[in-house]
Amino acid sequence: MITSKFEYKKPSTVGEAVQLYNEFRGKAVYLSGGTDLVPRIKLGLEKPGLVIDLKGIKLLTQIQEEGDFIKIGSLVRLFDLKQNEIVKNLFPALLASLDATSCETLQMTGTIGGNILQDCRCIFYNQSEFWRRSKGFCLKMGGEKCNAVPGAKTCFANYCSDNATSLCTLKAEVELVGPDRSRRINLQDIYTNKSDKPFSIEPGEILTSVFIPKEKTSGGYEKLRVRCAIDYPLLGVAFSSVNGVGRLALGAVGAMPYVLELQQPFADTVTDAVDAILNKISPVNNTVLERDYRKRMIPILAKRLVNNVMEGAK
Amino acid sequence: MEQLKVKLNVNGEPIELQVKPNETLLNTLREQLELTGAKEGCGLGACGSCTVLVNGVPTRSCIILTAELDGSDIITIEGLGDERNLDPLQQSFMDKGAVQCGFCTPGMILTARGLLNRNPSPSREEILKAMSSNICRCTGYKKIVEAVETAASLEAGDK
Repeated sequence: MITSKFEYKKPSTVGEAVQLYNEFRGKAVYLSGGTDLVPRIKLGLEKPGLVIDLKGIKLLTQIQEEGDFIKIGSLVRLFDLKQNEIVKNLFPALLASLDATSCETLQMTGTIGGNILQDCRCIFYNQSEFWRRSKGFCLKMGGEKCNAVPGAKTCFANYCSDNATSLCTLKAEVELVGPDRSRRINLQDIYTNKSDKPFSIEPGEILTSVFIPKEKTSGGYEKLRVRCAIDYPLLGVAFSSVNGVGRLALGAVGAMPYVLELQQPFADTVTDAVDAILNKISPVNNTVLERDYRKRMIPILAKRLVNNVMEGAK
Repeated sequence: MEQLKVKLNVNGEPIELQVKPNETLLNTLREQLELTGAKEGCGLGACGSCTVLVNGVPTRSCIILTAELDGSDIITIEGLGDERNLDPLQQSFMDKGAVQCGFCTPGMILTARGLLNRNPSPSREEILKAMSSNICRCTGYKKIVEAVETAASLEAGDK
């Protein structure tokens, strides 16, 4: 049961949705598939006054070629995207991350836009209000301390989108439409690298489309999790290569996907490249697996992935 | 909180309902329509025991608002077959003993129904993948998978 009360509106254009947001400024949230938002509302992590359902905006459900890019509407369901021939042919990393996302039933409800804009997760945060209150509110809930790392003044929740991690290796861009302007930026630039407020998106902005350069890539995605379905990643590693340039991204070990470029031959340079970034990221004990194990698995999965992709490309 | 008027077709019957904006489909089914086949397990979309078909697609009814579904066709376990004319999946779940405590069963059967509707002859791997959307805490997955295989071949034989 949802205890918090809110109004519900279903506009049919982006303009109407943004206008509704402005009328309820500060109290409105956008709803797409709801697989991230509705559980958060149920847990009292989100207490909106108005839920604006974007699913009435049919324009955002299309996949089309536009110039040198494939344009994916943000409301395209993950399961449908996985069946798309262009994705199958050009973007193996994305195909693999879509397939690894949660389970088929939730892929049929969740959308690509919602998957990208999911909130960061922590086992001390994604809990009921009763549970959180008894522990004392953490930084991400507006409290003064981190419940995962005693004494810390920074939030360490993990950004767990499988697909944003692979999209970063594909140099994806996103279109944002807001009250004052529309803009198109690199997906990597929507992140703040702060787990308590992970996105630099302005109030009222809607992620309307994802653009991926139309190039045939080699790639893949490796996901660390306890069971092979439903679970969020405890570490996600994506790799894509095109025209001799390799891009590796690490997900679920911080507030954003961490991207690094690899020099050829990729299989030889991946270990050093990953070692260099390990100093900059600090997974903590806030998932069901221990920090040290997750950290140790980063070079292992990265190397395994790159080797497998390069083997497949031969 | 203003009530919203929603038209649904539930198990073949068109109905018009007044719902609260914060009412989930699971609440509507169980509390307004007294269809208690769909179960609330985790209530957060993880376990799959609340799965019903929305326009033919398996959907977690505990994390979808009824307000979102105006104009949709809903099939719950009650509408899949009746006592004299069971769905092949209901029959095969019984025949194979694919039911232990039974709590996950309605969700399991509707997930399987969604699979067989889109893919009438799935491989064992495809069945495992589809059925891994649902959790059985009695952990009796082997017979569940066998039941889905049996229903698929029964249906193939019917055609």
